[in-house]
Amino acid sequence: MDIGLEYALPILTDPIVIGLIIAGTLIGVIIGALPGLSSSMGVALLLPFSLYLDPIPAIALLSALYCAGTFGGSITAILINAPGAPPAVATAFDGYPMALKGEAGRALGIAAVSSVSGGIFSLLVLLFAAPLLARIAYSFGPPEYFALGVFALSMLASISGEAPIKNLIGGCLGLLIATVGIDLTTGVERFTFGVPELLEGIQFIPVLIGLFAVTELLNQAQELNREKIAIALSAVKLPSLNDFRRVKNTILRSSGIGIFVGVLPAEGSTMAAMIGYNEAKRWSNRPEEFGKGVIEGVAGPEAANNAATGGSMVPTLALGIPGSATAAVILGGLQVQGLRPGPYLFEEQPGLLYAIFFAMLIANILFLFIGLLGAKVFSRISLIPSTFLWPTVFALCFVGAYGLNQSMVDVWIMLVAGLVGFVLKKNGFGPAPIIMGIVLGGLIETSLAQSMIIFDQQWTAFFSRPIAMVFFILAVVSLAAAQFRSLLAKVLPHRK
Amino acid sequence: MKHENTIAGIILIGFCAIAYWLTTSFSEVSAMLSQNVPPTFFPRLVLFIMALLSIILIFTGIGRKPKSAEFLPASFWKTVGIIISAGILAYFLGTLITLAVIAMVLPLAWGERRYKLIAALAVFLPISIYVVFTLGLDVRFPAGRMLEAVM
Repeated sequence: MDIGLEYALPILTDPIVIGLIIAGTLIGVIIGALPGLSSSMGVALLLPFSLYLDPIPAIALLSALYCAGTFGGSITAILINAPGAPPAVATAFDGYPMALKGEAGRALGIAAVSSVSGGIFSLLVLLFAAPLLARIAYSFGPPEYFALGVFALSMLASISGEAPIKNLIGGCLGLLIATVGIDLTTGVERFTFGVPELLEGIQFIPVLIGLFAVTELLNQAQELNREKIAIALSAVKLPSLNDFRRVKNTILRSSGIGIFVGVLPAEGSTMAAMIGYNEAKRWSNRPEEFGKGVIEGVAGPEAANNAATGGSMVPTLALGIPGSATAAVILGGLQVQGLRPGPYLFEEQPGLLYAIFFAMLIANILFLFIGLLGAKVFSRISLIPSTFLWPTVFALCFVGAYGLNQSMVDVWIMLVAGLVGFVLKKNGFGPAPIIMGIVLGGLIETSLAQSMIIFDQQWTAFFSRPIAMVFFILAVVSLAAAQFRSLLAKVLPHRK
Repeated sequence: MKHENTIAGIILIGFCAIAYWLTTSFSEVSAMLSQNVPPTFFPRLVLFIMALLSIILIFTGIGRKPKSAEFLPASFWKTVGIIISAGILAYFLGTLITLAVIAMVLPLAWGERRYKLIAALAVFLPISIYVVFTLGLDVRFPAGRMLEAVM
């Protein structure tokens, strides 16, 4: 299997690239540790600056940040009960009670080891599964890609924490935003309102920064009085051999769950962590102790959320279908860099897969040390007053949106996206489905148009394509499952 | 008062109607390309699905109690004003001076009163951005109309 190790090695032995991976890891842990800043937002903020780099170092930087950001959230989840990022919410369930019992160090040690284990398992799957999936995808034509895109959008219905209908509407809104500009098939202007800057479409990066970072800035503006109290951290220690024996099955199970959930389009680390926690509890001999501070309650979500990072990169790279919100941002980055994610990516950029693999591997190993040795420092970083942190974030948003095209129109797009994103978020519409819709919009529309030409405008011909049919059936199943789960959630509390 | 899902659904249907109306103003496609999928097809398909989902959203709100009205604090409205002003100010003062102003005004609006730290942020933030982006990455920030007039 030739996936370009010989191309990747010279790049990865470049001290600048190594430096970027280390920087990405450090920034990721810091961003993950800061409440309100997630890895998605971190990647979104760093994306405009990464465009000054060659594609491989840029993606290595973003991938390292993605991994480390997912772990970083657990530091504040354990120490101050304020998960730095949504995937760490489940870690706080038992991590914070452990910290209250004076076992903050042990909890952080378990979190670090579980995260690294989950991350490395998922990277091995990425290394082998992505080229295999890409090989299968060689046989995909436009109808199959259209059906795959529809399946990916249908998975938005089951993103955790939001109502399925609202996620689907968010996805549609993203698709609509993607139609702005000149239609590539006919050359007709759509929704441009005579603004020349919109002829090439609404730029992805300003929308991304607006939806993730400016929306969160406005969110933070409402919560200025939230108190953050750091727990005194005793020396961080690695889990004992006995601890490791206790959690090894949980880590293995959660890694499998995380990889599977990550590979599914649109599903990310947050859902993986919640399932990882629930399964750790279900398989435990002492489920009643969960929530009071047990190490399995930390190991389960941590192994799962980090395993989902590698897993989510599989469909992102092999099919061009994002496996999570952060992967969607990285996918957008690949597209802005002029790369074509999908089966031909590994031919066009032979070193890319190994670059991402090694970047994420180095990030995983690094944050094991950072997590263990630097937890005390990072817990202090999390206490930076929001009155100084968020003006700095806003300045980065401003510069990031402006920098790509050096255009103030992009800054306005970012500001509008932030304001609209805030209103939508207040009403239960998260930013991730919109981003997914924007990223998938081009693929879905183009493949639909090509399919209709192939089928001579007979849409029923989709049913004659077996692979497309499988994706359509999966889409129906995922929509039905999400609706069923939503109904169940409404019914069950009444039964109690 | 109606449930927020019902209100959101009604607003979204209104949005879909306006967007659909906008698609009617798309230019005609030349005869050579007329056998392809017209440029209105995909946006209209998406709008149709969105409207359908919005109708379902309206129904999910029927018979449910609305959430109690949530009032946004003054700090939120100040922040909205400041970030919008940033876009306008940049036109007159240029990006770097605007960012210095934001670094002063936003912490003050959020209740920060450690003036020395605010002043330090207002000085170091634009300088760091200038060093990294202009000197390092060759990003040219606009000087602003006022500075251009002075120079």
